[in-house]
Amino acid sequence: MFALRGIAVSLTFFVLLYCLLSGLVVISWRWLKWLRATKQSLAGLLFVLRVFPLVASVVITFAFVVPSFQLLEPRSIDEGMGAMPLALGLCALLLIAYGCFRVVAAQTTTTRVVARWLEGAHPLNVDARTVTFRSRREAPPLTLVGMRKPRVLVSESTIALLSHDELQIALKHELEHVRSRDNLKKLLFRFCPFPGMARLESAWSQAAELAADDAAVSNLDDAVDLAAALVKLSRLVPVEAAPVCTVGFVTGSISARVTRLLAWDEAAKAHSTKIRAWYAIPPALVALSCVFATYGPALALTHEMTEWLVR
Amino acid sequence: MTKAFSIFGSSSRPQLGPFEQQVLQELWSHGSATVRELLADGKIHQAYTTVMTTMDRLYKKGLLERVAEGRAFRYTPRHTPEELQRNTALESIRQLLGSGEASRLPLSYLVEALSTHDAQLLDELQLLVERKRREIQSRKIKAGDAVTREPRDRERR
Repeated sequence: MFALRGIAVSLTFFVLLYCLLSGLVVISWRWLKWLRATKQSLAGLLFVLRVFPLVASVVITFAFVVPSFQLLEPRSIDEGMGAMPLALGLCALLLIAYGCFRVVAAQTTTTRVVARWLEGAHPLNVDARTVTFRSRREAPPLTLVGMRKPRVLVSESTIALLSHDELQIALKHELEHVRSRDNLKKLLFRFCPFPGMARLESAWSQAAELAADDAAVSNLDDAVDLAAALVKLSRLVPVEAAPVCTVGFVTGSISARVTRLLAWDEAAKAHSTKIRAWYAIPPALVALSCVFATYGPALALTHEMTEWLVR
Repeated sequence: MTKAFSIFGSSSRPQLGPFEQQVLQELWSHGSATVRELLADGKIHQAYTTVMTTMDRLYKKGLLERVAEGRAFRYTPRHTPEELQRNTALESIRQLLGSGEASRLPLSYLVEALSTHDAQLLDELQLLVERKRREIQSRKIKAGDAVTREPRDRERR
């Protein structure tokens, strides 16, 4: 009974915190558009914001709720439990199950569709990290598939349509998606569903495309080649909608991407702020020291909150 | 934006007349304004009462918000031009799709119109790319000329 109560309380705390944080993210993420950061940093921040509710809820549940229950809850008393924690615990289990189902469904569909796209395909180029396949004419023009073993599929139509330079820069763009593990990120999004997050995901997708454009392009010639490749491949009508765990080259707002590429300016690019991952280390260290310094009282407070939840 | 207004007129939402459109445009450029401030700008050549009535009508149509400021009101547009355009488009599409049993037919027109629009947009983008390519090419040729001319000039000197 003690263990069951512990699990129910932890799950209740988790689901409440997850919903609260997700709601805050849904309301507040738009403020990021005022940030004058590079598209790479913006994509990174949007990703962090998207997975923040899940990560924070899991960390707080395991770091505070579980230990507080283990340490401060007397095992001897046979305390009853209200209907609310049971219902919320069930909601948490359903949420986790739904997340898992979405992940498995996305993975299964992707595997099935990619297998069809790969029928009759043969390797074009084998890199240390990626294999490029030449796929049939009906396959999508240029797509990145896979997470552990990323593969870039280039259709015969694409090869026929693009010049050598255009194809090289378009491939470079796709390889930037490999480097930023965008397919894995998409799968992670599937695991943490919440209403209203679709716009954030769409903004992330657009920022990720722009970031890959920026990373692939190193001069104005490259920018124009990439823009030309985008316009040409946009004319190839996709046969079917691409599954979740793939990154198509023709994604996001094409006119915005092309206009941006044609106005490519190294100087303007240098002016935007790049937010590096290590910037998070000092605040994280401060937060960790605060946690260590106040861990006892924090556990007591968490226990009080869980007690209130149980009743 | 004019397009948005014309669609707006055909929807179930309140229709906007030319003067109402002008007042709304002026308010968008100001952010917020009182009747006196709009008139002081000199772009609207109408009587104070006409502008006041129009703004009041726009407020009643739900397009403006207002707060009392002394004896007058300060008006602020409730939507940005983009939001209004979006709402208008959505409303029109909703009307088009909800037009009874034959909603498949309007949908096919919509798809056709979108495909034509897409093709036009891509043509325009293609032109932009080609223009940029020509620009780069001519810049390179000029730079190449300058490089070849420089040693010749030095020799002449």
